[in-house]
Amino acid sequence: MQEQHVKILIVDDDEISRIGCERILEMSDYHVDLAENGVDGLQKIKDTDYDLVVTDLMMPKMGGMEFLQEISKIDEKIIPIVITGYATIENAVDAVKMGAYDYLAKPFTPDEFRAKIERALEKRRLLLETEKLRQERDQNLLEHSIEKTRTHTIINCMSEGVIATNKSGLILLINPAAVKMLRLKHVDVIGHKVTGLLSNPALETKISDALTQVTSKEILERFEITTPEGRVLQSNITPVINEKKECIGTVAVLIDITEDKKLEKVKTDFLSLVSHELKAPLGAIEGYLNLILDGVTADQPDKEKNYIQKSKDRAHELLDLVNDLLDLTRAEKKISSKLISPVDLSVVIKETFDFYKNEAKAKSIQFAFDCPENLPSIRGNQEELSRLIANLVSNAIKYTPENGQVSLTAEKNNNQVYIHVKDTGIGMSKDDAAKVFDEFYRAKNAVSKKISGTGLGLAIAKKIAEEHNGYIELESQPDKGSVFTVVLPVINKRSHGE
Amino acid sequence: MNKKVKILLADDDPDFIEINKTILEAKGYEVEEAYTSSEALEKIREKQYDLLILDLMMEEKDAGFTVAYAVKEDEKLKNLPILMLTSAQEKTGFTFKLSNDKEWMKVDDFAAKPLKPAELVERVEKLIK
Repeated sequence: MQEQHVKILIVDDDEISRIGCERILEMSDYHVDLAENGVDGLQKIKDTDYDLVVTDLMMPKMGGMEFLQEISKIDEKIIPIVITGYATIENAVDAVKMGAYDYLAKPFTPDEFRAKIERALEKRRLLLETEKLRQERDQNLLEHSIEKTRTHTIINCMSEGVIATNKSGLILLINPAAVKMLRLKHVDVIGHKVTGLLSNPALETKISDALTQVTSKEILERFEITTPEGRVLQSNITPVINEKKECIGTVAVLIDITEDKKLEKVKTDFLSLVSHELKAPLGAIEGYLNLILDGVTADQPDKEKNYIQKSKDRAHELLDLVNDLLDLTRAEKKISSKLISPVDLSVVIKETFDFYKNEAKAKSIQFAFDCPENLPSIRGNQEELSRLIANLVSNAIKYTPENGQVSLTAEKNNNQVYIHVKDTGIGMSKDDAAKVFDEFYRAKNAVSKKISGTGLGLAIAKKIAEEHNGYIELESQPDKGSVFTVVLPVINKRSHGE
Repeated sequence: MNKKVKILLADDDPDFIEINKTILEAKGYEVEEAYTSSEALEKIREKQYDLLILDLMMEEKDAGFTVAYAVKEDEKLKNLPILMLTSAQEKTGFTFKLSNDKEWMKVDDFAAKPLKPAELVERVEKLIK
């Protein structure tokens, strides 16, 4: 072991002996320091990191035994070798007891000395290696414990529920999300068998099944469970497989999909309603055409003409419905994706009034109008705001019998614009009023009075108002009439820098 | 024809009533109309009909079933044959459930709307035999 950085300290009160040792070692290219006595030697050890210390036993000021003791206090990994002129077994044993690694009797040959040194250096090397490994292990343990804390924190913060079990189905880990999802009253379930503890037999059975399934490949069991409170949890159970392909536990991940399920149902219900609403006019048209084609009405030309007219009406109704569905889809789009500009409501309201004037007149309805010309602007989509008011006005005219009254008025109050559409029409009950903004909901009195409509106009109006941060209020009494009030917030000029 | 066969048509869509009524009246049947499930039940309890042609989706999604159950559970009414019509359900889905679900077994026949005149007549003739 001929390393440049090997440092050796020689402590001997005999100068000849010191220099003799130094010469031998310098030939081997070691860095060698010398000390005359133990006190001097200790000072040097404190200052420099030596690999070996070669020391005499019989020295003034501090004897070799005391010196050995002191060395071990300063540096445990330093390797001491004792040289002595009084090489007795007792001395040697005592020196080893004091921490000497080896001893050498004077006089000795350079080869003997070098052999001892090299053996000691080998020992030193092993010692350092061991120390390095120990440090690495300690570091790993530290990292492991940090990692463990970190993983624990991550699992505890997950919105998904996590339950881990061992081979025998004992719960090893359950995070707060899982406790919450399963509404566990006893949080202290760790170390207990899964059966009967998760307040969900379906989940417990699936976990047990995953454990007992003899499998050589990882499988993921995915299923949905319903909690007693009616929440739907999607559960993914993965068996934990070791290198011998044995199942040594399970990890169950729970995801609360109750809201997704609700949305899915709303979507399905809506689609089934839409399909019914689309099929009805198509079916009627087909039915009338069948009558005519099959000659059921062959000898009744007036009836036939009437049926063609009815088919045309239903075709038109279908067209209205498709248009309304498109409007509804458009209104549902985020306002940010639409053309937005300051909209002059005074103009929009006046235009709507002008558009429906004739329709009202045709039904001999008194159509009153009162809107200031200087209503503040609304930030929004002009086409949609126009559609919103038009839907309310056309409804008012549609549901008001001849000679009734409809009014369209607007005002500004406290940074909000109020648009009132009032009619003396058929009105509706409280129950109907609560549902009238739902898609395809049409009040029974409207249906029984056979007033046509797609059932989407108010749903569209509501969506447009909401997309403009506003809302619609409704006051209604059966057979007296209704007042729809649209409330829209006015642009705050400062915040928009306009 | 001795006594006219009397049929009740229950549907919330006036056009379907008009269509089926025209077909059936052309065949000499006497037809009456009901636009809601409650109106249909009222008429059934009041008068004696030979057949009920019932729309499934009236004011409620499955209003037709409500009427069908009420009829079939009533000792006096249960022999009234019912032809259920629907535009909402898939034809196959309806068949499947009809043969597997006991409660749906109570309907004597079903068909998707609109039925062609000849087919309606054929089904009606089968049911009133």
